[in-house]
Amino acid sequence: MTITVNYAGHAVVTDLGRSKGPVRGLSVYGALDQASARTANALVGNAPNAPLLECLADGLTFTVDNDDVLIAVTGSPMDHASVDDEPLDMNTPISVKAGQQVVLGNAVGGLRTYLAIRGSLAAPRLLGSCAPDTMLGFGLRLHDGDTIETLLPSPPLSDLFEGIPYINLHVPSPRFDDDILVPVLKGPDWSEFTDAGEILTTERYIVDPRSNHVGIRLSGTTPQRSENRGEVLSRAVPVGAIEVPADNALLALQRGRGITAGYPVLAVVSSCGQSRVAQARPGQQLRFSLCDITSASAAARQQQRTISDIATRVNALLHASWRVVPENEWTL
Amino acid sequence: MTNPLLISPCGECGLRVESTSSEDDEDWRTVHNLSRLLGMTQLPGLYNAVPTYNSTLLEFDPVLTDADTVTAFVRLLEQAHDLTAPLPQARIFDVPVVYGSEYGPDLPFVADYLELSQSEVIRLHGAQDLIVRCLGGPAASCMTDGPEFAKPIPRLDDPRLSVPAQSVSLAGRQGVIGPVKAPSGWRAIGITPIQLMDLDDPDLVPYRPGDHIRFRAIEESQWDQYNGRAMRDMEVQR
Repeated sequence: MTITVNYAGHAVVTDLGRSKGPVRGLSVYGALDQASARTANALVGNAPNAPLLECLADGLTFTVDNDDVLIAVTGSPMDHASVDDEPLDMNTPISVKAGQQVVLGNAVGGLRTYLAIRGSLAAPRLLGSCAPDTMLGFGLRLHDGDTIETLLPSPPLSDLFEGIPYINLHVPSPRFDDDILVPVLKGPDWSEFTDAGEILTTERYIVDPRSNHVGIRLSGTTPQRSENRGEVLSRAVPVGAIEVPADNALLALQRGRGITAGYPVLAVVSSCGQSRVAQARPGQQLRFSLCDITSASAAARQQQRTISDIATRVNALLHASWRVVPENEWTL
Repeated sequence: MTNPLLISPCGECGLRVESTSSEDDEDWRTVHNLSRLLGMTQLPGLYNAVPTYNSTLLEFDPVLTDADTVTAFVRLLEQAHDLTAPLPQARIFDVPVVYGSEYGPDLPFVADYLELSQSEVIRLHGAQDLIVRCLGGPAASCMTDGPEFAKPIPRLDDPRLSVPAQSVSLAGRQGVIGPVKAPSGWRAIGITPIQLMDLDDPDLVPYRPGDHIRFRAIEESQWDQYNGRAMRDMEVQR
């Protein structure tokens, strides 16, 4: 069971990250928009951490080779998204038959699109994770012409329903506004900065093109350090940490960040906020809102609950559907 | 009685725990002992404790636990254990280094800055075993104490976009051996032919905080004699 990559773009096979990495000095990596990656896996009945495809900005085209598959596409919408020229719906499970071609064009609104395949993909692992590590040169980066092994065939769902929309999971599709509002919490070194709250919550920052999976650079007025305590000893910094490396520049660390750094941590983007930052495009405007631990935790739990509910409904649906498909129509 | 640990929130799924005694080595032992205990006790939802010098970053799943619970757990461990106890028995690794020229382009700067000859810098670098303080970024870098120089070494004003794998560098009062090619603002004084990282080894690198690194100068002509040997085979038997 394979898919053949016709156009690879910048797609990689990833998962939720290498949680055993940081203690060994490795970056965690993994899907930058964790919420969309979890949702994609939930929509095809996969475990949350199953390997899936992450496409960046310029899309992906592949052909399903010899067995039908069930896929779901989440995250940023992409131009001309289609299965054999039929428009492809996002945020819902879709059956793709052997021989059909899936096309994702350029990202529109956001930056990263996730594509999960039921049963997931074969990928090499390091410390239990397939997430590419750009420092080590580890991971499965797609190239034109590659063949990727998929692990489960999935008989078509739509045959049951004769093309009638058979399912509405009410998956909230994330908003991709021009004006991105990101919840942040006061960082451990907040008090070293002057007027941090005032400046951080009123300034409109512009996403700099020199942004990547390590960090997103923002230009705009920054809080100034009121006291210089000299060189800080290297210490581990969380994903989402906001540092002030220079005047008029903020750096919000993403999942490829080096685990240790010597800059003070002004603020930390909430975990829900990190998924939003991952979709910010160069040139876009971004604002911060201050939140506290209680509200950020509540938001994280709410988001997880929503995704768990999707997983529950999908699993029930898959179970029910495939039970009544006559066995001789299965493509096993 | 030592000062209580300083615990600060780091987002809704992280805590920074700092040890604030007046003694660097005690702070370091404290955060490493605490991190090891947290690893052994496995509080549900707590998935990482990443210690460096005087602090450790705790990361947890906000669905399974929360900052208050993790804080209370840390306080419990703080009361129940002597966190200043020595770390487990150290191992010693013998690390041959080709110093200077294209292997260590900053050796002349370091010598000039310290008003020493290059060979004196090399001698001091290997004069005593240097303690591994933590594994850091990028990629499981071996972060050690620096040699006993008269003053700290300033970083490069303009960091290099890439230094070769296995470079041996200095900055401040710290030293580092980097397992992979990476950008760096530290002063590179040499390269070891020893392979630090093995992706097929479940631990990736053999050194652990508390281990000792024993640097030893070799000639460029000896490179091939050591090239590709694995770090884990360089452990010195006591």
